[in-house]
Amino acid sequence: MNLLEFLNRFFGRDNGASKDVAKERLRLVLVHDRVNISPQVVEALKEDLISVINKYMEIDQASLEVSLNSSDGTMALVANIPVLGIRRGA
Amino acid sequence: MKEMLDTALSSENTILIQKTLRSGQSIKHSGNVVILGDVNPGAEVVAGGHVVVMGAVRGMVHAGAFGDENATVTAFCLNPIQLRICNYITRIPDGNHPEPTEPETARIINQGIVIENISLQGNRLF
Amino acid sequence: MGEVLVITSGKGGVGKTTATANIGTGLALMGKKIVMVDTDIGLRNLDVVMGLENRIVYDIVDVVQGNCRLKQALIKDKRFENMYLLPAAQTKDKTAVSEEQMKNLSDNLKTEFDYIVIDCPAGIEQGFKNAIAGAEKAVVVTTPEVSAVRDADRIVGLLESSGLREPKLIINRIRPQMVKKGDMMSMEDIIEILAVDLLGVVPDDESVVVSTNRGEPAVMDKASRAGQAFRNISQRITGEEIPLMNLEANSGWLEKIKRWVTKS
Repeated sequence: MNLLEFLNRFFGRDNGASKDVAKERLRLVLVHDRVNISPQVVEALKEDLISVINKYMEIDQASLEVSLNSSDGTMALVANIPVLGIRRGA
Repeated sequence: MKEMLDTALSSENTILIQKTLRSGQSIKHSGNVVILGDVNPGAEVVAGGHVVVMGAVRGMVHAGAFGDENATVTAFCLNPIQLRICNYITRIPDGNHPEPTEPETARIINQGIVIENISLQGNRLF
Repeated sequence: MGEVLVITSGKGGVGKTTATANIGTGLALMGKKIVMVDTDIGLRNLDVVMGLENRIVYDIVDVVQGNCRLKQALIKDKRFENMYLLPAAQTKDKTAVSEEQMKNLSDNLKTEFDYIVIDCPAGIEQGFKNAIAGAEKAVVVTTPEVSAVRDADRIVGLLESSGLREPKLIINRIRPQMVKKGDMMSMEDIIEILAVDLLGVVPDDESVVVSTNRGEPAVMDKASRAGQAFRNISQRITGEEIPLMNLEANSGWLEKIKRWVTKS
């Protein structure tokens, strides 16, 4: 802590008010908490995805991966579905 | 003290607890209970016979729980939140009061729980 | 018919038991007939906060298991005729009571009392589920810390999914000086994040420690700022419109001296 910082702190003029840090961290954490989906739901989603895609494509069901990811405060549903072939006449 | 212990221990049905009973822990026994340790607030001892605590009683002790009016409670420091003998119940008075510094015994005398020094000199009524 | 109110928080140590004791006593001060129910089985504390620990003979587990009648387990307060406590059991665990039993118990108490104030254990497991089973309204207690607010958010979600819509928020232990400096989240910050109605704000106050030591809830202390906040909260629970107290007041040195002089 340099002298200026110290003086700012001493006189209560700290620019990076810690409550703003707290608020921002809370917001991020709550985004995660609120979309907390149970493993059962993810499993059900997976089943449904497979049945729909199966109509059009041949997929590797064993290595199919579905997960919820987040970065920079936004959430994304990421599905990795290896395709083995296209169904003819679909 | 020795005489007291002799009577308490005369029954065969006596258990010895070699630890301090902490909040939430409870001992239930049909005979006498001897504790080498304290009985902390929130802990309880329920005995069919006598209870002897070689330490401080600050929790709840129930002696003679199945109807024995002759049961007694003895401790080095008898300062329970609540004390029961047979179907009599007594509690510490509200407000501040000093902890006893001498060993005491509680027993039923004339339809009430009376606490007295083991030396039997002087009575202390709740 | 009475109203069943559950005081909950998720996180431990934010002041649920203190809030229960003070809201209950606050309602009793207003002449309401109330009962406080401690549902923290195995870790009971409401009895010591209320100074009634030496009067317990039967507890909530004895009642639901039929070892005694409900009336036998209710402890009448030593200060107020119209205030009772139903203590938790200390030497049993949370599975000793079921949600169904708690609901029946609340229904029984409702016929006798104006308000039933339930002190909920920390956590979101069986103890929490039991505590909210018979409740009609919920109060969530939090403090201005990230951990407590996060847990409060979780609790609000769980309450809503169990049918307890629109829980009300109490923000406990606010320190106006730190809020002013920007080093503590303000009530506005917390409300903005949780998006629930505010029931009251309670300043961090040493008098709460003193009153807990004595077994006398802070609402009974006229000089206590936290006591005042809880009196206001109790009044709001009965439907009165009471403005939020000015937390800044009494914080200047002049006021401090004034307060010190009037106290002694």
